[in-house]
Amino acid sequence: MRIWMDERFGLSSVAQFLKNKSIPINKHTMWSYTGSAILLFFVIQIVTGFILIFYYKPILEEANASVVRIMTEVPLGWILRSVHSWSATFMIAFLFVHLLSIWINKAYRRPRELTWMTGVLLLICSMLFGFTGYLLPWNDLSFSATKVGTDIPRAIPIVGEWVTKLLRGGEDVTGDTLTRFFGIHVCILPIFLLVLLAVHVYLIQKLGMSVPLEEEKSRKKTKEIPFWPNFVYREAIVWLILFGVCLTVAIFFPPSLEKMADLMAPAPEGVKPEWYFLFLFQTLKIFPARFLFISGETVAVFLILLGIVLFFFLPVIDNKPEERKGKIVRATAFLFILYFLILSIWSLL
Amino acid sequence: MKIKYSLFSRRQFLNGLIGGWVGAMLAALVYPIVRFMFPPTKEPDEVILPVADYKDMAPNTTKMFAWGRKPGILKKNDDGSLIAFVGVCTHLDCNVMYIPEQRKFFCACHDGWYDEFGTNIAGPPPKPLRQLFVSLEGEELIIKKEGVE
Repeated sequence: MRIWMDERFGLSSVAQFLKNKSIPINKHTMWSYTGSAILLFFVIQIVTGFILIFYYKPILEEANASVVRIMTEVPLGWILRSVHSWSATFMIAFLFVHLLSIWINKAYRRPRELTWMTGVLLLICSMLFGFTGYLLPWNDLSFSATKVGTDIPRAIPIVGEWVTKLLRGGEDVTGDTLTRFFGIHVCILPIFLLVLLAVHVYLIQKLGMSVPLEEEKSRKKTKEIPFWPNFVYREAIVWLILFGVCLTVAIFFPPSLEKMADLMAPAPEGVKPEWYFLFLFQTLKIFPARFLFISGETVAVFLILLGIVLFFFLPVIDNKPEERKGKIVRATAFLFILYFLILSIWSLL
Repeated sequence: MKIKYSLFSRRQFLNGLIGGWVGAMLAALVYPIVRFMFPPTKEPDEVILPVADYKDMAPNTTKMFAWGRKPGILKKNDDGSLIAFVGVCTHLDCNVMYIPEQRKFFCACHDGWYDEFGTNIAGPPPKPLRQLFVSLEGEELIIKKEGVE
């Protein structure tokens, strides 16, 4: 049977590859587990997401009520929604740690530039998942946060107005926006993410794991362990622990049910986006209304866009990792962490 | 004059033909998709409200009305005149509320403040609230946007 299958699929070369694959062991190996942790949470997202679709209704009149039903009537619905929500949080958190560890350790250096770039696109994709998913329970907080979020592109000259209308499905955030966000969340983004993920994982297999700069320079043989089964067993332990933590948090801190959004009601106090957007939210808040002769919002949006572009091209910018420039790039990572933490905490005060 | 040699090969010609065909087909597909993505959501030129619902308003209070799919705010001034605004913040589009004690409009999203006539006075809003024009015709209160006769 095995031979029969292999004659048709020819997968023995893949099995052979995995058998020979090895993982370098050094003081930075622990960061390698963050990638597979993201994968774990992504799989949880897919499974719980599929199940939630059975009851969720993406229309203005029923969205909030259907989430209430999932939380109160459907057997174990509250756990599934809670895991979906918490697993998303864990996924984004690990994405941040994953990318920051690569930034700090400079694992994106030649020839792994494209691995980094697909990684940044995966981060953006995941944040868009979060942004679109946040609106789906259709409560007053998420409604106002989405009004703000979709209005931000308007600050970009010429195309901005167009982008806002495209996101909202019209001038305002309405039932059309809800249905559109649902479509993006469950159909368009998954396709993009899976394609990007395939490229990302392929590149990792093709190029192998990066070794730290110091070790690469010393040219001595690096310590390695086989991917299968040694590394996979270690990963399995990490997965079990993370799954346990996620489930525990989900059971003890399920997301709340807020009041249904009303298109005409004033924005409630304490409107805020998901935690990973807080630092951007606070950045917009602290910018003055006018900045010389242009609006402060436009300046802020441009600075944020510039930041994303620089982040995407980081491996190209950081082309001399061992010299002074490389050290500055590394220091920027720590500055970013500081900025992220300070502004996030500030926005909660 | 007859050219002795061909300017492009048969393969190039066919590639161009097929490429052009694929391009034209894509364009023909993209156009309707783009059009489809933007539903018509025209703002109303005017909204007519029954006076009866609004005539008993005390000075310095507001009532909401639907301005298309946006909230409209009708406010009675101290001198008895009526003034109307589109009730969304000019910063990032959140719905604003009126706080009678402070005689100010307030946007909770980013701490934006406007005075009782809709002028932006504090926080990030770059412009005053958009004002609408109120007129009284018999038993109807007519609220128009700027520039509509």
